[in-house]
Amino acid sequence: MTGSYVGKGRGGKLLRVDLYWQDGRAERVSIRGDFFAHPEDGFDAAEDGLAGVPLTELGQVFGRQLEARGVTLFGLLPSDLDDAVESIVSSAIKQG
Amino acid sequence: MQLRYLETGARPAAFNMGLDEAVLDEVAAGRSQPTLRLYAWKPWAVSLGYFQGLNDEVDREACSASGVDVVRRVTGGGAVFHAAELTYSIVVPESHPLAAGSILDSYRSICGGLVLGLSSLGIPAEFAPLNDVVAGGKKLSGNAQTRKKGCLLQHGTVLLDVDVDQMFALLKVPNEKLKGKLIADVKARVSSVSAMLGRPFGYDEAVATFRPAFASAFGAELAPGQPTEAEQAGAERLAAEKFGTLAWTAKR
Repeated sequence: MTGSYVGKGRGGKLLRVDLYWQDGRAERVSIRGDFFAHPEDGFDAAEDGLAGVPLTELGQVFGRQLEARGVTLFGLLPSDLDDAVESIVSSAIKQG
Repeated sequence: MQLRYLETGARPAAFNMGLDEAVLDEVAAGRSQPTLRLYAWKPWAVSLGYFQGLNDEVDREACSASGVDVVRRVTGGGAVFHAAELTYSIVVPESHPLAAGSILDSYRSICGGLVLGLSSLGIPAEFAPLNDVVAGGKKLSGNAQTRKKGCLLQHGTVLLDVDVDQMFALLKVPNEKLKGKLIADVKARVSSVSAMLGRPFGYDEAVATFRPAFASAFGAELAPGQPTEAEQAGAERLAAEKFGTLAWTAKR
């Protein structure tokens, strides 16, 4: 299944998420927006590392992966990803 | 403190981003001195933040029809329409005083040059964390920073004049239904040096204003120079192989 989210997270910057998932696990997550992350390639790697992660754990795992790579975020919180995923999945459920 | 000073005029977007990165490579390798560069864009361009989606943010057909370049930056932040503006970049090792403290501290230190330059024009500007400079509550400058290879690269703009309607003809908005309101909001929140001075304020005058302002704010002597052969070649290679390619521009 696929779904998208656009909104302002608690981090303050615009967040766009495209989520592809199957059986409760992410197949691919694309996280975009006007936030900052240092170092940028650490963010890319953390984002790539979300494939296969249960949807309910995405924000937590994302936060851990960022921390492991020493990534500092500005304008985005890892928990913003949970809010986006919840919104995407809720919409998908409503649409049946 | 001494910084090499480059003034490279108006260049295409891919070259501009290539030269910023080439200077970073050479400073990181110890072959070039810490550098402040002032420049502009010809043709005008839209630059995307590193994490932004090309097709989310940019009307590529409108840009193409208007002869406006599109380029992805190595820095985060939002999309910027580079038209009547002064752009600067600064590259220093992370051990340099301008990179000292937190990322917020270094934004504040470097933006100090912008605040001082605007203040010298009688515009009561202030740094607005994380990465803006504002006057009277209106944004006049946006800035973006990255740290790579042990160096800090920060680039940013001073809006010399601004046409918000033209900007939104090139950029997409999250919700088309709210585009009119968004444009009105941006017009209320963004201004330019020309608008604040009530007279035209162009690139040459901006260079003459902000070069000494950066020097004074940093307590630095600016030593005029030119890009080295390695930087020039690196910028051309990066323009051709990275910043000018769809693979990079459409990375997200």
